[in-house]
Amino acid sequence: MPSFTLDGQQVPYEPGDTILRAAWRAGIEIPHYCWHPGLSVAANCRMCLVHIESGRQMAMPILRFDQAKQTYVPDTKPKLMPACQFPAGDDLVVSSTSEVVKTAQQHVQEWLLLNHPVDCPICDQAGECKLQDYWATHDQQMKRKRTEIVHKPKAVRFGPTIVYDAERCISCTRCVRVCDELVGDHVLDSRERGNRSEIFVAPGRELDHRYTLMTEHVCPVGALTSRDFRFKARVWFLKSANGICSGCAKGCNMHVDYDPRSREVERLRPRDNMDVNQFWMCDDGMMSYKAVREDRVLTGLVGRGEARERVAASAALAFAVERLSAVPADKVAFVLSATASTEENAALARLAEAMGSVHLYLAARPDWEGDDILRSADHNPNRAGANLAAGHALEESVEDLVSDLLAGAVGAVVAVGADSAEALEALAPMAALDASVVFASNHGVLSDAASVVVPIASWAESVGTYVNEQGRAQAYRRAVTPPGGVQEGWRAIADLAEALGHGLGVERTEELMPMPAANEAAAAAEVTA
Amino acid sequence: MTIGVKVLKKPPRTLAEQAYLPETVKGLRLTMSRFFKNTFGPDSEKEIATVKYPEETRVYPERFRGVHRLTQRADGSPRCVACLCCSTACPAQCIHIEPGEYAADDPRAGYERYPKVFVIDELRCISCGYCVEACPCDAIRMDTGVHMPASTHRDHFLYDKETLLSLPGADGSLLTANTRPEPGDADHPGIDRDHH
Repeated sequence: MPSFTLDGQQVPYEPGDTILRAAWRAGIEIPHYCWHPGLSVAANCRMCLVHIESGRQMAMPILRFDQAKQTYVPDTKPKLMPACQFPAGDDLVVSSTSEVVKTAQQHVQEWLLLNHPVDCPICDQAGECKLQDYWATHDQQMKRKRTEIVHKPKAVRFGPTIVYDAERCISCTRCVRVCDELVGDHVLDSRERGNRSEIFVAPGRELDHRYTLMTEHVCPVGALTSRDFRFKARVWFLKSANGICSGCAKGCNMHVDYDPRSREVERLRPRDNMDVNQFWMCDDGMMSYKAVREDRVLTGLVGRGEARERVAASAALAFAVERLSAVPADKVAFVLSATASTEENAALARLAEAMGSVHLYLAARPDWEGDDILRSADHNPNRAGANLAAGHALEESVEDLVSDLLAGAVGAVVAVGADSAEALEALAPMAALDASVVFASNHGVLSDAASVVVPIASWAESVGTYVNEQGRAQAYRRAVTPPGGVQEGWRAIADLAEALGHGLGVERTEELMPMPAANEAAAAAEVTA
Repeated sequence: MTIGVKVLKKPPRTLAEQAYLPETVKGLRLTMSRFFKNTFGPDSEKEIATVKYPEETRVYPERFRGVHRLTQRADGSPRCVACLCCSTACPAQCIHIEPGEYAADDPRAGYERYPKVFVIDELRCISCGYCVEACPCDAIRMDTGVHMPASTHRDHFLYDKETLLSLPGADGSLLTANTRPEPGDADHPGIDRDHH
């Protein structure tokens, strides 16, 4: 691979790379605001200016302040180039740390902060703001401007998800380019020039496409803030765990940001993975953390409707054993879930095998609207994983379960996950069954129809693997601890199997994975992530 | 090495001292003269080191770090913008804040953030004053000049927003001397370019 010299170091590049992209690939940071690896080059922030020391030098006339003479004297300086736009080439010698570049970086940083309100204490970006970072590394001087800053609109509602503060904006146009290039919806643009420049929404429109939160995600400063996350937490309190989005079969990689003090998930952020989601996530995926907080099954539930009682999780398990023992083992139906992890499905499939039941079904959420960007039409994160756990492609749906129940082929139901495409009315035969056990983290139609509901941990509270539509097994890690008394799904199923006399004999999730290939793929995904 | 011993001579005693009684009477005279002077004498001549706490209290020095208070703006709203700098700085983690946003039709909407909930656990507080140092708005102060009153209930030490806002400083004011232009004031620079 060809290479060039950056600060005395050989940096390899691919043909077509710019200096900044090659440095980014090599893990070297040249300070920048407007450049984003997933977007086109704008070269408007001027923070990435570097000195091309090789080749013919172009000198710029300047006036330099002479301390001895106490006046400005004519001088020259080398012309600097934006690293984000300058193509890398052989024999190129580039400096991003020479004195003249450092001075330029300091001046650009001071310039960007000239009209900034410096309201960091009330800004959600504080703690992960490029302006703060680069002030500390490249500026480090007090504000010299003594006049009032140029005031611009604040807290402008851009749409249902985004609020804009023009005073904090550095007009890097990353948000405009996300809308143009990722979504193909030219809903944002910039207007005015210089210190009056601001971003605005197309007249008659709102920022309401499916990737609006990506504008906030790419914003290097606090100009765009998410209305959902607004004022909710200070980022320096948050810790992060590696997660996989449970929204659809795409399996976007994400950071699960949680507050270790309250043990609550506060937000999700895309985690770069060039093979799956590149740098992005859709709004529905970004909001999917709400399922960890809302509509949860936190205790065992026994009975239905008005007569439903809350019991301890262990008591619910005992009820389940009692009800299931009354039914012949080969007449118990097992419902795997396209929304549950591969491990949970594998535990259930193993129990079915141990009990000698051939009645395996798959519950899945109905399709939603997909698109060509990220969203898969399959609303389920783990259909492939459930099929792998079963050992074959599951054709039988919950609809087939209902007809088998009516025909009397099965007499009991054990399901993992509460989501299914059917309406509760369609599940009447299951709702009349004495022995229908559902392991669920959230309420859904299956848990409503169940006679016994055993609470299990949600995806944020457990480790597991989703296999996405590409067949890529991706592991997610635990972010927060489950609510008191609630176990991880596979462990609760293993406990049930033990009590039924069909112990699975597994102690660790790794032992549950039915296919070593998926394990390796998951491990590989972990390493690359 | 041997230890050096220095023998001290016992002070000699007179016969009157040896007799015990005259010395006792002398001592009692001093005690009783102090008693009558400090109990019935004029205030200016009293030589008493103790105060009758809790009826009387000492005046604390000006920079004494007492019970916290939240300072108010002129319109009675809290100066606090719920930035959580104080709870970040707090080594005892005794400050709990939930930020909120004023509604768009609220006259104070320009402030953006305000504390919906602001609770200090005074039992956990170690009175280090870091919260006062960290506050960018001069919203939290420990200048009330009083220390934490005693109670037998833990709940009584959880000071909520209303309580903290109602406590005056040692000078009796709910405000602070460090005023600044607020949105709506004639000298405020404005919150957007249409409201100069």
